[in-house]
Amino acid sequence: MESLHWLIRLRWFAVAGIFLAALFADKALRLALPYWKICGIAAALGAVNLLFLLRFRRCLATREPCVEKLTNRLANAQIPVDLVSLTALLHFSGGIENPFRYYFVFHMIIASVLLSRRASYLQATFALLLFLLMAGMEYTGRWAHYCVASQPQLCLRGDLLHLAGVCAAFASTLFISVYMASSIAAKLRQKEAGLREANLQLLEKDKIKSNYVLRVTHDIKEHLAAIQACLDPVLAGVTGPVDPRQESLIRRAYERTGKLTAFAKALLEITRMKLSRGLETADFSLKKTAENAVSYVEASAKAKNIALSWSIAPGVDLMHGSQIYIEESIANFLANAVKYTPEGGKVSMDITDEGASVLVRVRDTGMGVPAEDMPHIFEEFFRARNAKAAERNGTGLGLSIAREVAARHKGRVWVESQEGKGSTFYFSLPKSPPPERA
Amino acid sequence: MAKILIIDDDPDIVESMRIILESCRHEVKTAASGEEGLKAAASGKPDLIILDVMMETMSKGFEVARALKGTKDAKDTPILLLTAIKESTGLDFENEAGDKDWLPVDAYLEKPLKPNELLVKVETLLKKK
Repeated sequence: MESLHWLIRLRWFAVAGIFLAALFADKALRLALPYWKICGIAAALGAVNLLFLLRFRRCLATREPCVEKLTNRLANAQIPVDLVSLTALLHFSGGIENPFRYYFVFHMIIASVLLSRRASYLQATFALLLFLLMAGMEYTGRWAHYCVASQPQLCLRGDLLHLAGVCAAFASTLFISVYMASSIAAKLRQKEAGLREANLQLLEKDKIKSNYVLRVTHDIKEHLAAIQACLDPVLAGVTGPVDPRQESLIRRAYERTGKLTAFAKALLEITRMKLSRGLETADFSLKKTAENAVSYVEASAKAKNIALSWSIAPGVDLMHGSQIYIEESIANFLANAVKYTPEGGKVSMDITDEGASVLVRVRDTGMGVPAEDMPHIFEEFFRARNAKAAERNGTGLGLSIAREVAARHKGRVWVESQEGKGSTFYFSLPKSPPPERA
Repeated sequence: MAKILIIDDDPDIVESMRIILESCRHEVKTAASGEEGLKAAASGKPDLIILDVMMETMSKGFEVARALKGTKDAKDTPILLLTAIKESTGLDFENEAGDKDWLPVDAYLEKPLKPNELLVKVETLLKKK
């Protein structure tokens, strides 16, 4: 596809080149050539190129299923058009004497890159036939010969040996270039196929790894649930009174188990999301979702005396996507902002309309992200240096879940931050994401 | 009865050790970071220091151990190093030939701690002193 577009772009240069060369031959070299015909050919080539471009654009826009086939057909059609134009140009500017006859080689290389080996040899044969036709017709005098020699007596038109030599050199050059270029192209294609295959294998291995993580984490979570279930009745006093020191230790164990359970849950969540091909989506109210997310952190913000505020632009509400995951991602941004902002700080959220998308912006006056940690902040299990020091417990998964959720909605997450001053986390969500299950 | 300083940034582990050691009438002081530990060792003059390897960084405990052995007050105080990295690194500190300059500690214990093992190690180190 891209190479086809490239070919169309190249042709504009060729058209411009013909006009310039004609101008030079006329004004500087003062050659007597049929310039109107030459410019006519250039204009026709430009017109045909415009048609190719329009056809190509239409094919891109409609995303026809036969794009591959069309690409091939367009490429197969474009090269003969070029070859005929080039032959006509040569004929009107000196025939086989024109030193630019070797420009046919360019088309042989392009054919070898774009087309199959067989089609490339066919194009070479076609080019040779055109060249021989022109040479023969000019030699026998059936077509006029336009001399480009500086003096008419130097014209080699009637010299049969010269004619045979030029044709033999021309034929061998064409076929050797096709052979070389198509061999190189074939090797590159083979390498590309190898890389594609390797990439598929990597994806498959990643899937196996995720399945493994899923199973292990699930097992761990079950044991954790059992531990909590055993400690629960003791703490609740069901088994009789517990002295304060015993209670302190049991409570610590219980809370740590809870934290590990939260970690296992987050790990299960992100792994499941990675394995699933699509999220369940529906229409939902972003306003209500934001309200829910804010309600999660209200208590902890109040406990730290943090001023929590939020706003949503008028007209922004109905969205399509996975409401639960989006709520969790926004809640996660807010929870982080509250967690890493010192007492008396500020946390605010604005939801704005950005045309094709909606932007959720969570701003805080917290510790910020160290510059060296910025590129990794959304990676799984990554925790910034200062965050780790300030808050022991954290899964390092919250932001990576948000990133995955955004990606699944064809959206994006990013952060702007200055260490010691605060951070702004962004979550951009397209208004109508394309269907997930393609 | 001895004065013991625990340097560990995990409050739950610290609390558990404190309760175990206090049950044997030891006097326990705690510090939640390497720097805090160095200060507490200088001011409290403990008989034994229990030190965690992984704190602010993966090897903070090593640095603290070296710093402690370099001070006048704590250079003879035995250090019991707590590690939880045997499973992830495969390193068995107990059986490594100890290079006293590289890692100047007197004994090791792997987390999770068993109360009896901790008490036995502590008593042995205190007696040696």
